[in-house]
Formats: sequence, C-alpha cells, structure tokens
Amino acid sequence: MTTVILVAAAIGLLLWSRSRDRGKTRESLDIAKRHLVGIGPTIAAILALIGLVLALIPQQYIQSLLGGANTFLSTVSAAAIGTITILPAFVAFPLSASLVERGAHVVAVAAFITTLTMVGFATLPIEIRYFGRRFAFLRNGASFVAALVIALGMGVLL
Amino acid sequence: MIDIIRKRKLLCVTLFAYGVVLILDRGIFLAAVDNMWMFVREMIEIFPAVIVLAALITVWVPPHVIMQYFGASSGMRGKLMSVLVGSVSAGPIYAAFPVTQSLLRKGASLSNVITIISAWAVVKVPMLIVEVKFLGIDFAAARYLFTVPAIIGMSMLISSRMKREDVIAAGVHAEGVDAVVEELLAALPGANCGGCGYSGCAAFAAGLRHGNEEPQKCALANEEVERQLRAILERYEVPSA
Repeated sequence: MTTVILVAAAIGLLLWSRSRDRGKTRESLDIAKRHLVGIGPTIAAILALIGLVLALIPQQYIQSLLGGANTFLSTVSAAAIGTITILPAFVAFPLSASLVERGAHVVAVAAFITTLTMVGFATLPIEIRYFGRRFAFLRNGASFVAALVIALGMGVLL
Repeated sequence: MIDIIRKRKLLCVTLFAYGVVLILDRGIFLAAVDNMWMFVREMIEIFPAVIVLAALITVWVPPHVIMQYFGASSGMRGKLMSVLVGSVSAGPIYAAFPVTQSLLRKGASLSNVITIISAWAVVKVPMLIVEVKFLGIDFAAARYLFTVPAIIGMSMLISSRMKREDVIAAGVHAEGVDAVVEELLAALPGANCGGCGYSGCAAFAAGLRHGNEEPQKCALANEEVERQLRAILERYEVPSA
C-alpha cells in the first residue's frame, strides 16, 4: 500500500516537474539514471548475498538462541543475530511472533527487531558508498547499543 | 574482462558463492533464490521511485527550505519532522540513503539525517497494523515509546563526534555531481564571462575544487565573494576517502 503511494508520489511529482520545466525534469531523470547505474549492481549483489546467507542459517538455530533461559544472554545474542541478517519488516514481525510463541523472551525479540532493521553488516558497503566509513561504523555501532537500551526499557515496562 | 571483475568484485563473489552452493546442495540453492527474489522484488518496486524523489529534491528544492526544516537551527521541530519523514516512508534502510544524502547536501543537519535513516528503518507506521496483529498493541506502543527518544538521542551523540562536511565529502557522488563544486558554483557571480580563462563558471569551480585555481582569478568576484569561496574550500579541505 505505502509502496503504491511512494511510486504514485514519484510519478506525480515527475509530471508536475515536467509541466513546470522540461529542462529541470530531464536533469532530474539524468541524475536518477546515473544514480541507478552507479549503485544498482552493488545493491543487487548484496541482496543476493543476504538471500544466500539466510538460506544457510537454519531457523531452528535462531529460535534456540532466542529462547534461552538467561534473558540477558538471549537478548544480546538476539541483537547480534539481527545485526548480521537483514529482513524486511513484513517478514520480521511474523517471524518475531513465532519466536515469542515458542518461548523467546519479549525483550530479546525487541532487540532482534531493532537490530534486524537498523543495523546491518550486509548493507554496510552501501552505506559507506553514500556517507563514508566513519559515519557507517559510528551509526551502526550506536544503533546496536540503542537496540539494547530500547529492549531494556521495554523489559522494565512490559 | 579483468577490469569488469575488479569493478564488480562483490557481484562476482556472490555469483561464485551461488555456483558453489548449487553444486553442493540444490535445496539450499533454491531457498536462496527464493529469498533473493523476495528482496530484489522489493528493491525493484521501491528503489527507482526513491532515487527519482531524491533527484527531484536535488534539482527543485532550494537549500534554504531544507535548512529551515532540517538544518542545524531547526531545533525540536526539525527532530520531530525527521522522525515523521522517516517513519511514514516505505522500504528497507538502504532506500533511505539516496534521499537523506541529497537532504544532507542541501543543508540538513547531520543529526536530523541520522534520525531520518533510523526512523526509516525501525519506526514503521505503515507496518503498525502488522506489528499490532502479530505482537500486540502493548508491545508496539512500548517499542515506539522507547525507540523515538533513543533514535533522537543517538543521532545527537553521533553528530557531535563528526563534521557534516566530512560526511558529505566522504560519500561517493553516485549521480556524478560533486557537491563541493556545486556549492562553489552557487557562490560565483555566474556571469560565465570567461575572464578567469575558463570557458565558464562551472569549469572554473571545478578548477578551484581541485586546487588548480585561486578565488581571486574570477574577474567579477568582489571581496565578499572571494571570502565565501575560501570559506567553502577550507571547509572541505579534508581529503575525501
């Protein structure tokens, strides 16, 4: 649904731009094209690599780690697993729910969701291309800590 | 051939890995292809729209507008705007990079850019219904309650340890436009008089950027313009990685 809105917004604004100034519209499309050619293959390669890694890691292994008796330990390992892999939110939520059903702690699942979406070893090369090494490492490192803080807060509240 | 391999190292490694897995275990190979297709489909749906939006921002939106809403002096309102922009957006985290990069170059503060990226990744308003359905309203509410302040705090912390100009300079300019040359060009009189010996202001700006020229070579620049050009060059003096 939001994808439809996003695509519609891009097309709508492009048409608006064209009605106002053809030259600027051409310039925009040129920039977008160079952008896609420049980074597209890298992103495609990384997505293929993630697909392979996910196929190699058995789901039972993730479940056994997150359902451990020690809440703190399973929270940290949940955050760590989320760091390596990356999943779209529409897969992450059902997966998390099935983990909770099988006995994973809510705090661990919260950490898992945060690092799963916000921290990514896999997407690091893309981030470095856009913002440089230092930015990418700092942001991912800080996000990992933030995930633990968020999980901790939720553990106190829930 | 060797040149292609060097340029597309990652793609070649990935293809090789897929080949090895195909030989060793067909089941895993097919599962991997399934996963890949899921991700690639998401990318095909979202990424072109995102880079078109980023390009339109680059071309149409004047820097003072971005500065007003997302700049260093936008304050609390800027932070909330950043959370809002990130959280209503669709797509995985890498889709946030093109848009935030063009906002950063147009004058958004580093901390607001990090807030947008983080909110884009983890505060998913479009996914709220799914989250509530699977994990319950208590879980979703508590997660939002802690995540938003955590993101804002983290962004301020990171931005206090880095310079905005360094981040801009470190980014590869995927669309082939040098942000520094653009800034220099904007500061020049723009008469394209050729008094500096170059064909026009854009060529002169590129010369300045690469250290081949001095600001006073511009025939029409007064002291104020020269001072501005020097200030821009000084800010970006760090060699880009």
